[in-house]
Amino acid sequence: MAAITAAIPRPTSSATGIWSWLTTVDHKRIGVLYGVSAFILFLIGGIEAGVMRLQLMTPDSNLIDPDTYNAMFTMHGTTMIFMAIMPMGAAFFNFLIPLMIGARDVAFPRLNAFSYWVFLFGAIIMHVGFLVNAVPDAGWFSYANLTGIEYSPGAGLDYWAVSLQVLGVASLAAAFNFVVTIINMRAPGMSLMRMPLFVWMTLITSILLVLAFPVITVALIELTFDRLFGTVFFVTSAGGDPILWQHLFWVFGHPEVYILILPAMGIVSEILPTFSRKPLFGYPVVVFSGIVIGIMGWAVWSHHMFTTGLGPMALSVFTITTMLIAVPTGVKIFNWMGTLWGGSIEFKTPLLWSVGFIALFIVGGLSGVSHAVSPSDYQQQDTYYIVAHLHYVLFGGSLMGLFAGVYYWFPKLTGKFLNETLGKVHFWLWFVGMNMTFFPMHFAGLNGMPRRIYTYGTEYGWDNMNLIASLGYLVLFVGALLFIVLLIQSIKNGKPAGHDPWDAPTLEWTISSPPPAYNFAEIPQVEGIDHYWIQKRKAEAEGNPITGPEAPVDPSTIHMPSPSYWPLVIAFGVAWIGGGLFIEIPWPYIKYPVCFIGGIIAFLGVIGWANEPAAAESHH
Amino acid sequence: MGPCPQERVESYSNQFNGAGKAASGKRFQPRPLILLISLVALVPLLGCAPDALQSTFGTAGPVAEKQLLLFNVLLWVMVAVFILVEGALLYSLVKFRRRPGDSLPVQVHGHTGLEITWTVIPTILILALGIWSVFTLFELKDPPATADGALEVTVTGHQWWWEFEYQDADGSGRFINTSNELIVPVGRPVNLLLNSDDVIHSFWVPKLAGKVDVVPTRNNRMWFQGDEIGTFYGQCAEFCGTAHALMKFRVHVLSELDYMNWVDNYGQAPGTTEALTSTARKGQEIFMSTGACLACHTIEGVPGAMGVLGPNLTGLANKQTFASGVMDLNRENLRQWLKNPDDVKPGNRMSEQAPVYQTADGNISLTEKEVSALIEYLLSLK
Repeated sequence: MAAITAAIPRPTSSATGIWSWLTTVDHKRIGVLYGVSAFILFLIGGIEAGVMRLQLMTPDSNLIDPDTYNAMFTMHGTTMIFMAIMPMGAAFFNFLIPLMIGARDVAFPRLNAFSYWVFLFGAIIMHVGFLVNAVPDAGWFSYANLTGIEYSPGAGLDYWAVSLQVLGVASLAAAFNFVVTIINMRAPGMSLMRMPLFVWMTLITSILLVLAFPVITVALIELTFDRLFGTVFFVTSAGGDPILWQHLFWVFGHPEVYILILPAMGIVSEILPTFSRKPLFGYPVVVFSGIVIGIMGWAVWSHHMFTTGLGPMALSVFTITTMLIAVPTGVKIFNWMGTLWGGSIEFKTPLLWSVGFIALFIVGGLSGVSHAVSPSDYQQQDTYYIVAHLHYVLFGGSLMGLFAGVYYWFPKLTGKFLNETLGKVHFWLWFVGMNMTFFPMHFAGLNGMPRRIYTYGTEYGWDNMNLIASLGYLVLFVGALLFIVLLIQSIKNGKPAGHDPWDAPTLEWTISSPPPAYNFAEIPQVEGIDHYWIQKRKAEAEGNPITGPEAPVDPSTIHMPSPSYWPLVIAFGVAWIGGGLFIEIPWPYIKYPVCFIGGIIAFLGVIGWANEPAAAESHH
Repeated sequence: MGPCPQERVESYSNQFNGAGKAASGKRFQPRPLILLISLVALVPLLGCAPDALQSTFGTAGPVAEKQLLLFNVLLWVMVAVFILVEGALLYSLVKFRRRPGDSLPVQVHGHTGLEITWTVIPTILILALGIWSVFTLFELKDPPATADGALEVTVTGHQWWWEFEYQDADGSGRFINTSNELIVPVGRPVNLLLNSDDVIHSFWVPKLAGKVDVVPTRNNRMWFQGDEIGTFYGQCAEFCGTAHALMKFRVHVLSELDYMNWVDNYGQAPGTTEALTSTARKGQEIFMSTGACLACHTIEGVPGAMGVLGPNLTGLANKQTFASGVMDLNRENLRQWLKNPDDVKPGNRMSEQAPVYQTADGNISLTEKEVSALIEYLLSLK
């Protein structure tokens, strides 16, 4: 076996077209793959939201039946969290981390490709349910025991559980990769306290991923075994405890929300200094706050369970811990404002998005504090007041922070600007639309509108709030369409951007846009947090200003990891292991041999990976 | 709320005054901005609609009131923080925007005093609120001790209706089982034992108390007290399947006298106070035979009608609604419901399990006349 796989030559890096994308191990390409996939899935999640807003626009509406509606909110949440925001974050980790730390690629390039392909297959499995009329419909956190086979007999929840397991493999692999890359591969002179803040946030996020995903893995295995193999973890008639699911899910789930927000916070922490022309205020404190949030995030999970009857003692503990976590979050916000304060602020699109992030995240953070006050949370929990909070932090926070990054680093990726004018319109459409859609939900919730209801009567007085929210969706929709248009236009005819269009301080701006395959011709010797500013100002003071990127060199003189087939093969095998559980034709038992074959494929893939030639032949 | 951070902000900016900013350009007036932010921050007050049926602001009992008090105080804190922080943000964006000819701003890296201040002050504020919350949690844990004790009611959540059982409705051991409309006396604490027959639900009647989840295997407890006579709307607040949105209930808070009358009159056999009409009697026959309703429904005083799979229909005609608060009780609605319950409440168990609905289109297998008789009977259940 080893001899055979050792004889298959590796694809060469000069290959173009689809094949080069399927076998790439280049972190920059993998970043693009993640970004494009995440954006498409984001649009799908957005349509699901649209179906809901259409249904809720008027009272007593019969447009959508309850089962479809329930599937919509389940898929919207699941898609946006696991298949839009997280992979968008991964897109940034992939593209930027090596560039920001002065490395040529990540520690494990093939593992990196593997992560992407597994993610893609996981997302596909999640959506196969649509094709076979078995869409998950128990909510994105799928509380037991509604999710048991007795109350949810269809295959929908099996798709949900299996797909999340597969997605979890992708997240874990990527997290390991980034932790090792950041710890081990920083350029000389880049101590931990000289890393760009985005790199710090990526490190903390990756550690959270490594620790949190095993917890949900356990929960999902227990759920899958209950549903498919007759175990009784959550089967109440056999003594199972549905609250166990909630604990397991939220021990994962709360760190998960920090996984969702920390990358966006990292991005904003990079953008504000560039457009204020002064360093990030309180860099060590911002780093430390991120670490504290990462650690404290493990101590708050039961605030999602305040109404489940845990008792006042448990509630008191989680009330205090949840309220305390607002402190480091607030400290970060103050430090961002300290960055702007006294600066020379230029209102380019990345800055607009970043400021929008801060403004909206403040609102989400404040409503979050009100949930922490557990006696009041008894009224707020499971209402639209919570839906409002979570969208302010996830849309106003994570999504807008990520788009700030899109506008900021698009020129580095492509050598062109995203259309500045249209970009500003996009920002304002989403800023206004987002407030129109989600602010009224605070009122609806406090006036008694529970979550996850497919319809409501006019007698409750929620009509106007829902109408405004649905109209706000239309504004968001137009904004999304506009972004697609401007994206295409910018890719084709975008205004050329040089290597350093924003006069930024970090390493990725020292090289050409787009970067060469090898990133850095010479690994830099890092002189400070704002290394490039230091370089540029020193050069200018010496009368020899830096006017261009690092000079290119012949790529064949730099040894880069060669492309490989095997990540895709193993990912395919993993997908088969998961997907095989759904094959019931021609007999139900066929699923076991199919899963087994998936395992064989994955195993062969691993052998191939381990034994393939160290490099493509053209190198030698 | 502590020293006004505004002063701190002013002195900090003095450190940079003139640093790299062009002398030209009009003086920046912060007042209109502060006004704007304050107006925006007060928008939340528009949301108070205490008359809305399920408004958490229209409290009618001590539990909801205490919970609201915490929220109201916090709301003002949130408004104040919003004004200060968003205001400072907007202010900085305007004051420090880049003007042509600007030189490089002072490259400040941080300020330890500020970091300490804006860590310590929020921590103190938050701990104060947190400790107050903890006190409130323990205060609200148990109902107040009263002379005759709390009224004990067992609530059982079913997909998708509510069952209420009084082990001792009147102090002398009177057992009552009813559904979807909970009747309690004014001014007396009501202790609820929450059970689920299937999945997790949540019992929420906002004007009386915050919600507590109804979890199978767990006997969660909550209490409330209705201090005002009236009808209060509630709804399941934990996603529990297809018809979650339609799992509603009402709490009727009656005067002590009216409550006792209700208890005394509850469960009389149909036809006791008023003789049944002949149509109603036919309806009763259908209920007990061709309709097979007795298999799932109980009617007190009707021997044989002891089904427990569905809501107890005793005293149905005295209720405001049926089908767990989804429809007002009247002839037309009853007809619509009985004809095809799935049209009204998709996924409901009656359409799924009752023999009369196992038809091709889900419409009831009884004739129009039979349904009319049934309706007559149901409306005589007083």
